[in-house]
Amino acid sequence: MFDHIRAFHQPRTVQEALKLLHRPGVKACPVAGGTDLVLRAGRSVTELVDITRLGLDAIRRNGRGLRIGAAATLAALEDSKAVQALADGILAKAAAYCGTVQMRNVATVGGNLANASPAADTATPLLVLDAEVVLHGLRGKRRIGLAEFFLAPHRTAAAGALLTEIVIPAPHPRARFSLQRFSRTESDIAVVSVAAGLQLDGKGRCQWARVALGAVAPVPLRVKKTEAALLGQVLTPEVIERAMKVAAGEARPITDIRASAEYRAELIRLLLRRALLDCARQRERAQ
Amino acid sequence: MKKNGKMNLPTIMKVSVLINKERRAWSIAPGDLLLDVLRREGYVGVKRGCETGECGACTVLLDGKPVNSCMVFAAQVEARKLTTIEGVGQTETLDPVQDELVKHGGVQCGFCTPGMVLNAKSYLAAHPKATEAEVREVLSGNLCRCTGYKKPVEAVMAAAHPGEHQCQQRQSKHVVVGHNLPKVDAVKLALGKPAFTDDVSLPGQLYGKILGSPHAHALIKRIDVSKARALPGVHAVLTYKDVPRVPHTTAGQAWPEPSPYDTFLLDSKVRFVGDRVAAVAAESRAIAEEALRLIKVDYKVLPLVLDMERAQDGKAPQIHDEPDASGIHDAKHNLAAAIHKHLGNVEEGFRQSSVILEDEFRTPRQQHAMMEPHVTLTWLDSDGRLVIRTSTQIPFHVRRQVAMILQLPVQKVHVIKPRIGGGFGGKQEMLLEDICGALTLATRRPVKIEYTRKEEFFMARSRHPQKLRMKMGFKPDGTLVANQMTVLASTGAYGSHSSTVQGNTGSKVLPLYRSPNMKFDCDIVYTTTPVAGAFRGYGCPQGFFAQESLMDEAAERFGVDPIELRRRNLIRLGDRDELSAELGEGRKGLARLMRSCGIMPCLEKGAAAVGWEEKRRRVNNPKSHLRRGVGVACSMQGSGIAGVDWASVFIKMNEDGSFQVQTGAADVGAGADTALAQIAAETLGVTLDKINICSGDTDFTPFDVGAYASSTTIISGGAVKKAAEKVRASLLEAAAAALDVKARKLSIAGNRIISTDRREWPLADVARNIMYKGKIQIMESASHFNMDSPPPFCATFAEVEVDTETGKVRVLHMVTAVDAGTAINPQLAEGQVEGAVAQGLGLALAEEMRLDENGRMINPDFLDYKIMTARDMPKLTTILVETNEPLGPYGAKSIGEVAINGPGPAIANAIYHAVGIRFRKMPFHSEDVWRALRQKEQAPFLAKAAARGK
Repeated sequence: MFDHIRAFHQPRTVQEALKLLHRPGVKACPVAGGTDLVLRAGRSVTELVDITRLGLDAIRRNGRGLRIGAAATLAALEDSKAVQALADGILAKAAAYCGTVQMRNVATVGGNLANASPAADTATPLLVLDAEVVLHGLRGKRRIGLAEFFLAPHRTAAAGALLTEIVIPAPHPRARFSLQRFSRTESDIAVVSVAAGLQLDGKGRCQWARVALGAVAPVPLRVKKTEAALLGQVLTPEVIERAMKVAAGEARPITDIRASAEYRAELIRLLLRRALLDCARQRERAQ
Repeated sequence: MKKNGKMNLPTIMKVSVLINKERRAWSIAPGDLLLDVLRREGYVGVKRGCETGECGACTVLLDGKPVNSCMVFAAQVEARKLTTIEGVGQTETLDPVQDELVKHGGVQCGFCTPGMVLNAKSYLAAHPKATEAEVREVLSGNLCRCTGYKKPVEAVMAAAHPGEHQCQQRQSKHVVVGHNLPKVDAVKLALGKPAFTDDVSLPGQLYGKILGSPHAHALIKRIDVSKARALPGVHAVLTYKDVPRVPHTTAGQAWPEPSPYDTFLLDSKVRFVGDRVAAVAAESRAIAEEALRLIKVDYKVLPLVLDMERAQDGKAPQIHDEPDASGIHDAKHNLAAAIHKHLGNVEEGFRQSSVILEDEFRTPRQQHAMMEPHVTLTWLDSDGRLVIRTSTQIPFHVRRQVAMILQLPVQKVHVIKPRIGGGFGGKQEMLLEDICGALTLATRRPVKIEYTRKEEFFMARSRHPQKLRMKMGFKPDGTLVANQMTVLASTGAYGSHSSTVQGNTGSKVLPLYRSPNMKFDCDIVYTTTPVAGAFRGYGCPQGFFAQESLMDEAAERFGVDPIELRRRNLIRLGDRDELSAELGEGRKGLARLMRSCGIMPCLEKGAAAVGWEEKRRRVNNPKSHLRRGVGVACSMQGSGIAGVDWASVFIKMNEDGSFQVQTGAADVGAGADTALAQIAAETLGVTLDKINICSGDTDFTPFDVGAYASSTTIISGGAVKKAAEKVRASLLEAAAAALDVKARKLSIAGNRIISTDRREWPLADVARNIMYKGKIQIMESASHFNMDSPPPFCATFAEVEVDTETGKVRVLHMVTAVDAGTAINPQLAEGQVEGAVAQGLGLALAEEMRLDENGRMINPDFLDYKIMTARDMPKLTTILVETNEPLGPYGAKSIGEVAINGPGPAIANAIYHAVGIRFRKMPFHSEDVWRALRQKEQAPFLAKAAARGK
């Protein structure tokens, strides 16, 4: 019930939205798809500021990378040819994992990130893609890496600024990507997700690596030690085994209703192996 | 709303939309959600199922795309285009998706149907060549608890590919019975017509809300409702001080109920988290919720009893210490009921046995999760009688119970059962009607209470969790000679259905196999946990899980095929089940004689359909982490409660040769109205469209115990057949007089009166003559009961694939072969089987109400209480094995429950076949499977290590 909401604003510009969000004495909250807000909004919020009419929903090519408006819906990402073509489609696939079709038609990629759930499905591929987020504050805009954006469960570095755009640089040339996910049923929040990107040279040596883990730490996590364990290595069973161990060590899984910490740690290992082998297989197929 | 209890006037804003091609402007509050505004504005085809965006019942199209209206703020739809179910199709011209859903039996209760229609329609518009996988993905946004999704998916595929996916037509020796005719209410449900309880609102209606206890066990020391009462817009606040104290059971059972009278309208003690503390009636939901927040309660928190194994140990606090409760077996030891029954002497049987198996099994607390939560609307009619429009399976029991609790004569209570959005036993319970009625009596105003999904999880009923110890003894030739089951069950805070559900665990399970010696012992204890009650299967899914798992172990021990060992021991035609005589409905019952028994052909046909012979021999690739296996389970149920369940029917003829069939039977979405109408039409010799059926209204239909115990087709159907035969005889007699032909030379067929000399008269003409010239109203009634409860039989086969790395169990194929006698409507019968299988799969793989250390449920939503979606369902094969049951109308037995018993044990046995591990605790969570696999992997090493240590 939102009977405590006193005003619902529908600004047309980012500046207007920011002013509405920062009026003294008012606790205002931005709303886009609403799918997280409706579940999580406390009764202290008194005003809502709709940010779906600010023209922030474009998905544009940016060289070989992409610029995605924060208000682009997850359905738009899932269906976008440009997103499907990017990085073996891991971002499109991640968007398709989110909830049901009815949710994806309203939920936005910006909301998925700004809600800062450790299990946010779009976060792991975006971390692997070195994405940055554009934050609009009253005093101007800044751009930070997505890894710096997440602070804690449901807490971000936005500090009152509005997340307006996600910038994805051109993926590493010849890199292959994979997204692996485990959930209890098909339409379910992730119990663990792993995104990986690898570039292997002609001898199968790893030239570039990115690995990100979801739902196994307070925030979606890029695991740099795991990446380091892969760099310069050929993906032998031993190397994979070591990376699995490192990744499980870098994660900080908890026990909750969906899984125990121990099981999550095992899933990290398994899904990472599957992701790495999938990247390698894709490379072989591409050759 | 402000803290001082005064309400601010809500800010009003305008929103204009194009809805169903009409321009509309609505006045809304800034925080209004689209769902609330739509229902308030009369678009009641938009259903409220969960309010957390999981179920999809509130789906609407926003600019052509499906969205959950519970998650969209009304203000956001300004200047946008909306389509609700009200804008799709009309009675005569259905949309293709609606039309195929109706034809394919894709509509059961119909509560989720509008959302499905809109979602599918939108997808097909953009993807005309949709594949089944795509359709399943899309429909996974619409939770359905009735159909198992098979028929809805077929229907959408048929809409996408006209000419393909045709419905199967059935051969039948009858004209109406035995044919796949669309449900008589399917069209209106597919159109989202206002047919459910909540679809009606009355002038001056108040919104009722119940304050649930935050503690699992506490005394109310002080309760201050003054601030709540002072809140403007609040019309009544009731606590235990304001209502009569009448001990009763909420179980909807025939009088005298076998459940203990241990419950009160409101009490000064609370016994589970969510137990009633107070109730409020106010002018809006928001005011009612605010009033609840203003009620101040001082609790004296008491020790908890969460573990059923500790409930009786003498140290546990006594949960029911009230002196006025009755029917409790041993309140001091928290023992709601106890059952000790035997046939022969099992000890002697075990002495004769060469193979004895014994193991312990556990089953979880599962909830019905019907898509329509409990909802009740009460008001006083112009004569001052209390009218109760309610989502119930038991209108007549509700009338009796509410009259008793509110101290009204039965005569002053009128219960109306509209369309129901699924029940599955959860609505075989008087749950909201008493408190809603009390609020109406207190305010003299109409009051509506509907549970939110969260309240449904906290306050409604669930399946009894059980711990079962099963012991079976076999002779060297594999003949079962001793079958023993010892059960400990938790009934939660109140004893609703406690002795009867657990009685069934023994009486419907053990006699499936012939054995001279059987023993069943059961303690049903109170705990300070959510209340258990009736749930499809009624104790049998638990019992069959134990028995069918152990039977599988026995087969392995004997080195024979699991089907073969079952065949040697299964009950047969002509056998008498004497255990049922020992274990009746809370009292001495009646022996069951097997007058029809198709379990052997069920096994044969099911085995062929799953590819048993080949798949049992298949060897898994040792290098792959994926292992496949197949498993089987047999089960049976009853058809009504012998000597207890009864029904009555009144039929009258209209002047156009159509008939009113008035029955107290309660169609809860499964299609009882249709099956009963088919029986009436067949018996009367008319087409189905000549039958108007009116059901479940205590003023306008005669008595029926209601929809439970798989009784409606056989008991209410029996009454319909009897009454229709009498009508037919009266009609022919009157027609003979009118036509001047001897009655014995006349018959009725195809809506015509036919004489032996081949003359024909349209029934409509004859009817008009009989009524206006003969001045006779053709009308008859009949009552019916059975002194036996013929069991339907079921063989369930599961093929699974276990991921040995993650522990994930994927079910690939479920084959369910059922002997339900002769199906009155095979398509509806299949729908019952498929829905039951989906719930059984949920029980086996995912569903479990979980409580924290304070007894509070920690997964009270569909995010973490997982029910199967269209994508989770395996391939389903349903086989109806026809037998002819002499006690049923046109040879019918029941179909509603039996198929829920098999999935658990069949899947457990298939997992064993795949990976060699027995799982004796449902559900089989991936994590538990993973853990067991890891232990098994380590076991040889540990054994070696231990050996080295010595």
